[in-house]
Amino acid sequence: MTTDATSAISPARRQPRRRAGLSEWSDRHFRWLLVVPAVLLILSLSVYPLVFSLWVSFVNYDFQIPGHAFVGLKNFSMVIFDPVARWSLVLTILLSSANVAIELGLGLALALAMVRSFPGRGLVMSVLIIPLFISPVIVGQAWALLLQRPFGPMNYLLGQILGQEVTIGWLTESPWLYVALIIADVWQWTPFMFVILLAGLTAIPPNLYEAAELDGVDGWQAFRLITLPQLAPIIMLAITFRLLDAVRLFDTIFIMTAGGPGTKTYTSSFYLYTVGFTQFHLSQATAGSWIFLILTALLVGLLVRRLVKSEPA
Amino acid sequence: MNDRTRREFEAGLAADVDAWLRGEPTRRSFIKRFGQMTGMLAVSGPLLASISRSALAQAAVQLADPSTPLGQAQAAALKASTEGPADGSAYRAVQAAKQFSDVTLNMTYESGLQALDPRHFSGPMWEQLTGMKSNVVELSHPDQYSKPVAEHIAGSGAYDILDIEPAWTPSLADGGVIAPLDDFIAKHMNKADFDDYHPLFKALPTYKGKIWGVFDDGDMFALYYRKDVFDDPKLKDAYSQKFGKPLAVPTTWEDYAQVAQFITDQMAPNLYGAGHFRKAGSPGNQYDFLQQFRANKGELFDGDMKAGLVSAAGIKTLENMIAANKASIPGNNELDAVSLWAAFLQGKVAMIYSWPPSGRMAANYSQSDAAINFIPRSTIAGKVGYAIVPGNPEHATGYSKALAADSENPEAAYLFMQWATSPPVSLARTMLPYALRDPYRLSHYKSELYGALWPDAKDYLANLCNSANVGLLDMIMPGWQDYALSLDRMCSSVWAGTDPKAALETAAAEWDQTTERLGTDSQKAFYAEYKKLPGSSADHTVEALGMAVKL
Repeated sequence: MTTDATSAISPARRQPRRRAGLSEWSDRHFRWLLVVPAVLLILSLSVYPLVFSLWVSFVNYDFQIPGHAFVGLKNFSMVIFDPVARWSLVLTILLSSANVAIELGLGLALALAMVRSFPGRGLVMSVLIIPLFISPVIVGQAWALLLQRPFGPMNYLLGQILGQEVTIGWLTESPWLYVALIIADVWQWTPFMFVILLAGLTAIPPNLYEAAELDGVDGWQAFRLITLPQLAPIIMLAITFRLLDAVRLFDTIFIMTAGGPGTKTYTSSFYLYTVGFTQFHLSQATAGSWIFLILTALLVGLLVRRLVKSEPA
Repeated sequence: MNDRTRREFEAGLAADVDAWLRGEPTRRSFIKRFGQMTGMLAVSGPLLASISRSALAQAAVQLADPSTPLGQAQAAALKASTEGPADGSAYRAVQAAKQFSDVTLNMTYESGLQALDPRHFSGPMWEQLTGMKSNVVELSHPDQYSKPVAEHIAGSGAYDILDIEPAWTPSLADGGVIAPLDDFIAKHMNKADFDDYHPLFKALPTYKGKIWGVFDDGDMFALYYRKDVFDDPKLKDAYSQKFGKPLAVPTTWEDYAQVAQFITDQMAPNLYGAGHFRKAGSPGNQYDFLQQFRANKGELFDGDMKAGLVSAAGIKTLENMIAANKASIPGNNELDAVSLWAAFLQGKVAMIYSWPPSGRMAANYSQSDAAINFIPRSTIAGKVGYAIVPGNPEHATGYSKALAADSENPEAAYLFMQWATSPPVSLARTMLPYALRDPYRLSHYKSELYGALWPDAKDYLANLCNSANVGLLDMIMPGWQDYALSLDRMCSSVWAGTDPKAALETAAAEWDQTTERLGTDSQKAFYAEYKKLPGSSADHTVEALGMAVKL
């Protein structure tokens, strides 16, 4: 009966129904269609290179050695047993920890100083955050020009201040070259900490301080018992963001010391760049990148867990 | 339209209108905006392309005053390209290239001054002669190796002509990045051009019996010294009293360190005995070490292809270099090539050994062009003498023009290379004040026009030629990048206080690792081939082989 009824409908009447069906299907799936380009983009730009790099790390992908023979874990072991790679990891940890710790301290101090209004505050804040907008390469070049002997003025200025000749090799002598790298990084990234922490400070309800004042709490206690606990999640957030960036330290090293003297200022990023794009041992560099990625992921996991814990209930 | 269709249409329309009134995007508005965006993209593509084309359009050829030596050399290059001689490589290249007038050549060049030649001179002149346009891709020196490799792996065909170090030739040839030129050379080049190369450079682009490029930059190290300092009677007396021999331009590395220290002791802080580019990656350490190591009779590898760095020659070389560093300007270990030039030109240093632009800058010839005004004016013009580096000077890097294997226009690319490196055109290019291309042809060294660029230019050319006669080549074999990096790390770590023997051992271990990675037997074969080249060792120079060029 139904079949008969359907077959009785003329083709001219069936067409609008089909159109309506198509429209319904389109309505139901339209959101997925909208997502398709983004998914394809992610697949092609992120997932495919990631899978490809995984393959590269298990084969020979060295420009000077023909073929892509499977080599198992050889590329990984070359990185693990390379003393330069191990040193670069140690230096990355030391430099990024020192950088972030100093930037946190200075950023917090600046934020505390700037949280209250005073004449010219806007101007001072604008000046303070300028380094954030400068390319790290330019920052490295500027500091290299300031510190490089015999033309850089830093030793001369220090000599004038100290009243005796200063002959520090800022870019070639230990421990000064590490000091120089830390100074450049701190100069650029302290404003980042400052801006985030300032935002956190302004979000603390003032009535907490008013209540504390009524209770006779002094400034240090207010800082320790109100400011720090209230600011803790923001501090963790700032540390997480900054640390993730700091472990990738490359630009200033590239410009200021080129990894030298010897391999004294090789960070992990600089090591991977050198192996990959100076020596062109791509498979070794890729294996090293995976190791670095895993270590970074562990760090991220740890920090995120701490971040979630430090969120006030 | 029946009732039901009308109702569905009106309902749909009402939904769309309601959504529109609420300010929500509807499917219709989305499709409309998507269409608009697509249309805008379609229009903006060609629009941006035309804007970028006009922005990057080749500048008009910049020619010097015709009355100057450079102007005359440029006129001669133009004449050789348009009027002949008909069998000249420049003329033949231009004639053959006219069929490719719609081609645009993508050529890599070292960024900065090097790239000004194809931007201001050779590129526009080639376009004027053939209609062929050129797109200069500026790259940092390390990227001149890595980018072509990356583009080759990607198969992009991004480049037609590559400026490469001759030492990279084996790696790039084996990797399929560059293509041999033999067929094009047989078809287009006047073979007499080969005999115009200095013998040190002639065979550099040849590898496994094929020619993989045309040599284009004679990067001979030479010693540049202050004649007025060495002629100072007070200094001469003091030196002969102290050492019992006359003060003279040093010919051994021991003398070099001794003379430098003496001048520093006598004249610092106004003037220091020497200066060197010692900063890591400057680049310089590997070249300096290699020239001194081989002058000290050091062997790079033994019979089993084990690194020969840990040897008496290696220790002596590093000790000499440390002694020279101590005698040098403060901050010596932080200098790169440009800052060393600045120190020399400002009269702070009595001796440097460096690339050939040193002589042109010291005479203030280079600074005659605004493009090079970041280099200070020379305060020592007319006071600079030229000598051979003690022992044997290094031919440090140099450049060959190579044909990218993925080029879509290989013949057109080759013809530009032939034209640009032909004797008359290359002479004009090496005479450009801002360019960093240095003389390499016999006709360059003998050129009256070049010799007239400044009062001592003939002595400068003769010294470059004599330096090439006893010059040493970089290691032209696979793995050069790795071997050189190890040397640079080794030297800079020694400057920072590492024990020389320990540093040599570390570098030797890295060399052995590189050799093993590339295959000991194949590296042995490459090394044997390299050893055949004139300039591979101190006892196998052009002069030692009886091929020295006397001007």
